This record gives sequence, structure tokens and C-alpha cells, in this order.
Amino acid sequence: MGQYFLGVDIGSLTTKVVLVDGNCKLVGRATGRSGYSGREVAKRLIAEILSQNGLDEKDLAATVATGYGRVTFPAEREISEITCQAKGIAHLFSAARTVIDIGGQDSKVIKLLPGGKVADFAMNDKCAAGTGRFLEVMAGALEVRVNDLGDLAADSKECCAISSICTVFAESEIISHISAGKPKPDIVAGVCDSVASRVASMTSRTGLEPEVVFTGGVARNSGVASALEKHLGCRLLLPPEPEITAALGAALFAREINQ
Amino acid sequence: MSEQRRYKQLASTRALKKTMTRYYALSSYHRFWGKPLRRPLAWVTSGAPVELLRSFNIHPVYPEQYGAICSTNKATAGLCQVAEAAGYSQDLCSYATSHIGSVMQPALAPMNGLPKPDLLLACNNICGTVLKWYEALARHFNIPLFVVDTPFLPDQLTDHARAYVLEQLKDITASLERLTGRRLDREKLAECVALSNEVVTLWKEIREFCRARPSPLNGPDLFIHMAPIVVLRGTRQAVNYYRILRDEVQKRVEQGVSAIEGEKIRLVWDNIAIWSNLFKFFKMFSERGACFVTDTYTGGWVMELAPGDPMESLATTYTSIFLNRSPEFRARQIIDLVKEYNADGFVMHSNRSCKPYSLVQEVIRKRVMQETGVPGLVVEADMADPRSYAEEPVRNRVQAFLETLS
Repeated sequence: MGQYFLGVDIGSLTTKVVLVDGNCKLVGRATGRSGYSGREVAKRLIAEILSQNGLDEKDLAATVATGYGRVTFPAEREISEITCQAKGIAHLFSAARTVIDIGGQDSKVIKLLPGGKVADFAMNDKCAAGTGRFLEVMAGALEVRVNDLGDLAADSKECCAISSICTVFAESEIISHISAGKPKPDIVAGVCDSVASRVASMTSRTGLEPEVVFTGGVARNSGVASALEKHLGCRLLLPPEPEITAALGAALFAREINQ
Repeated sequence: MSEQRRYKQLASTRALKKTMTRYYALSSYHRFWGKPLRRPLAWVTSGAPVELLRSFNIHPVYPEQYGAICSTNKATAGLCQVAEAAGYSQDLCSYATSHIGSVMQPALAPMNGLPKPDLLLACNNICGTVLKWYEALARHFNIPLFVVDTPFLPDQLTDHARAYVLEQLKDITASLERLTGRRLDREKLAECVALSNEVVTLWKEIREFCRARPSPLNGPDLFIHMAPIVVLRGTRQAVNYYRILRDEVQKRVEQGVSAIEGEKIRLVWDNIAIWSNLFKFFKMFSERGACFVTDTYTGGWVMELAPGDPMESLATTYTSIFLNRSPEFRARQIIDLVKEYNADGFVMHSNRSCKPYSLVQEVIRKRVMQETGVPGLVVEADMADPRSYAEEPVRNRVQAFLETLS
């Protein structure tokens, strides 16, 4: 009988896998681009984690899948990433009452009850504005790496306004800023601000109760994080590995199911 | 599991189909019987005082219901594109655009479009779109358009508002007298109003049976079986049909028969159905044991016509319908439904097409959550246009919402 629990989060852009032991201790994690088959990527990542820890499939007691690919992944149970995200964050920050999660294709605000149960949530509508994908498209137009957006934004003197909420139209706006000769850091700051203001307005639907945790892959972007703090007027807590918190929640659920 | 939880059809569906087929067959053959019987055909909005038309022997046809039929027949997107190519905005109501598309290219439309109207009657108690929509139709067919302007009620109905609407109904009556060459038959009007009331009482009874646990009906049942009350209100056929349905639903309650297998979660629905994905959408809930025991939309037809002078009663009732009232009124309505039906949560369809219904939902959602303590979910879609429905994001929200309830 296995003693390890697996959380698999097959997201729209990235697949994340987390392994915990019976004491909820995180023993391994792996991430990869979801690509055409998130399911195959997840299987490869699981094999990686297991071999890194000198384990094999028999050591796995239960698996919970979450994210967009959750339905087709063979697991004991599939749970939505909203519930998993809440679980993971409550485990890392027991005082957290609000989670702001910006992932590849969606952004969400989750209101937590003590203990990590979901009280309410709001998500972006059928639109990529305010998501990681938006940042990727803009980084492409600016010919910079997504990971460098934060540092670039920090050098901005005067943030450019990006007013369109449509990803395609916003890209044209950026191109016109470029042709107007605006400095790159100012445009990047505008991009970060655009994402932050979009997500900040979602918090008005759920309310904003501290502590507020910022998670999802975009939380690594210090430009968006500081723009969000400015819009919300409060301090944000950041998990050490913000992209794996939903997978962590899934792994914790796998442990609970097993007990 | 999902096999067990499949949709349980009511036996009354046969009678429903018969009633509706007869109505639409009669309507589409109007060109043969309308003139000889001197019975004009009117296109009317869902919230128009149809009893007045019926008392003049005018046959009413409902473009809004037809919009729903187009959607369940997968014709909406194509019809909207026809209207959009002619310059109508994609941001307009999809009932309006698809219907205008069906007028322009009947060959693309179910039943080859609706039978041609002799007159139009629009009442803006449901929205402002109907005014421009019906003006466009009046220009296209070059036929008379009658408008009933019902002032929005921020609070209670005022004497002034009632008098204003009553005056208009009298004006329209005079015009209809000229148009049909008949005098208003007050007895016939009173009879139509009485028949409407009978139907409304039956529909109310049917809906209230769903307070039972488990509920005998689920959301899709309410949406499908509301068809006759929309188009046949004020007729004997509607009364006959709803008696059959009432008896069946009553029997379900007496025998403890549930609408869905293993009802665990009871929900209230707000707004028009997502016709393009009606069963698929509600199945996301029923397969997790969640049943929509009541809703605000089909409840809109539970509007008793006050006793007294029929014309005054029409003015009062049609001005007071819920879409013509304040967010406070609408929040109170959902709060009462949650309490009366013992609901565990509520789901609001933020309907791209229907602005008056959807615009204030966030305010209402907060108030209902505060006062009842049950959670509310907002789902973004469109009542008819499948281009505004994205299944994956919807499934994601629905699942997360149901997880918070179980």
C-alpha cells in the first residue's frame, strides 16, 4: 500500500504535478508545458518525480486531478481548480481569506472561509484579458521574455496606458506605442497595469478580506504584483512556488480521500 | 451514474407537443383562414396584454418564443449572421436579431419563418429593445404598430402610472375597433381575462408543488412546459393542457417521484434558459444531484389579473411584471424563493442578450447571499446565440460551485 499522494493540475498552458507524503510534506514537484496532450505531459512528469525520489507507482496511494485536463486524466477523483487552489493556499497560509490566482487562460478571485472552504469566487469572463496568455502575447510583441517583464517594469518612469480589454486590440495598442517611440519599460509597466486593473476590479464582486495571497504563474511577475498592490491598496502574500499551489491542494485532497 | 440520472420526461409532454403543434399549424395556415374569418394576425411581445387582442379575435404569434425555437433547432447563429450582414449589431438581443434574420431569409428558419403579421403590438415592460425591433418590423411589412409604454416602477405601482397605461390601452382599443371593424366586446374581454387567470392559477399550483422534497420538476421541465402559457394565455386550450400537467405533477409529489435521481442540492435559477444547450447545461447539475426547483423566469407568468374592470386590471398587471421593477423587488423575489423552496444556492445566468434582466444581477446576488446565507453563482452565456456560450469555462465554474455546496 502506497504512502504518497499525487496532485495533478493540467492547466491551459502548464501542467503541474505535486507529490506529498502522509504528513502533508511536499516531497516533489515538476512542471511542463501542457502542449497538445496535457495528459501525456502529466504522465511524463509523474514518472520524473517518482524516479527522482526513488519511488514507483506502487508507492502512490491516491491521485486527484484538477485544471482543464482533469476530466480525462485517470485519477481517484477530479476536483475543480478553484476548490484545489483554496485548499493549497489555506495549507500554506492559514490566515489567508482572499486568493488572487492568475493562470494561463483565466484569472480568479476566491474568498476563503477559515479552514480553506470556498465562500465565493469570481472569474474572468470569456476573454483572455487579465491572464498569463495576455502577458505572453504582449511580451511577444515587445520581443522580451515573459520572465523579464517584472524587472523591465521596475525601470518605468511613466507607465503607458493600455486601454483595450481585448488581447488582440491591446497588442495593436502596444505596436502603436512602439512606433511612437515609447521606452520599453513604460510599455511593459502599462501591460502589467492593464492585467492588474482587470483582476482588481473582480475583487469588488467577492470583497477583499486580508490576508490576500497572490498565486498562479503570473505571481512570479513582480510588475503585475506591485501594480496589483497599488490597485488594491494592500499587501500581497506570495507563495514560494506560486504555480503549483492548486496541484498541492489536489495532492492534499488525495490524502484526505485516502483516509 | 449519469445514465441513472438522465432526464425523466413527463407523460404530459405528449399533450404539450399536441397543443403546441396545433397552435403553430393553425398559425402557419392563417393565410387560408385569416381573411375569410376576418381574424387578423398580430406579432406580439411576451409581456403584451394579449387578452385585449383575443377579445377582438386577433390571432397572436410570439417572435420571442420563436427565437427560442430557432435556438433549440440550431438555427440562431445563421439567422443572426443574416441580420448582422444587413447592419444589425452583434451586441443586440439574439431573439431580435435571429427573428429579423428569419424575416429576411425564411428559408434558413424553422417552419420557414413565422406567418406574416397584419399588425404588431409591443409592450416595453420587458425591455426597451422591443420598441426598435418592432419599429423595424413595422417598416419592413408596412403595417400598424401599437406600443404600450409601461413606466419603470422604482417602488410600488402609482395611480399615475396606472392611469397612463390605461389611457394607452383605451387608445389602442379605439384603433383596433377601426382596424377590425368590430366594437370592443367587454364580455369577451372579461372571459379572456378569466381564462388567463385560470391558467395562471394552474401554473402557480404546478410550480408550488416543487416545494416538495424531492422536487417533482427540474429547471428544464419548467422551461419546456411554460410554452403554452406564453402563446395560449387566455384560451381554453391552455387551461386544458395545464390541468393535465397539474395532475401529473401532483401525482409525482404524492408518490414521491423526483425530477432527478438522488436530489441532493436544491437550486434557484435566475434568467432565461440557455436554449442552445438546454439539456446539456442542466445535466452538468443533475449528474451531481443538483435540481433547479424553481426560477424567476417561468415564474414571470404567475401574474394574476386583478378583479374588477378588465381593462384596469390589464393596466395594473402588465405594468407590475418583475422585469419592470426595482433591483430591491427582484432581490426580495429571489430571497423569498430561496426560503420557500428550501434552496441551498442559486444560479444566475448573465444573459448577454437580455440587458434589463442581467445588468443588476451582481447587486441582487450580493443582497441575496447576505440575507439568506446561501451562495450564488453567475454563469455567462446567451439565451439563444451559441456563439456566446463557452462550455469549458462554464463547466469549471459549475463544478467549483457545486463543490462548495457538497
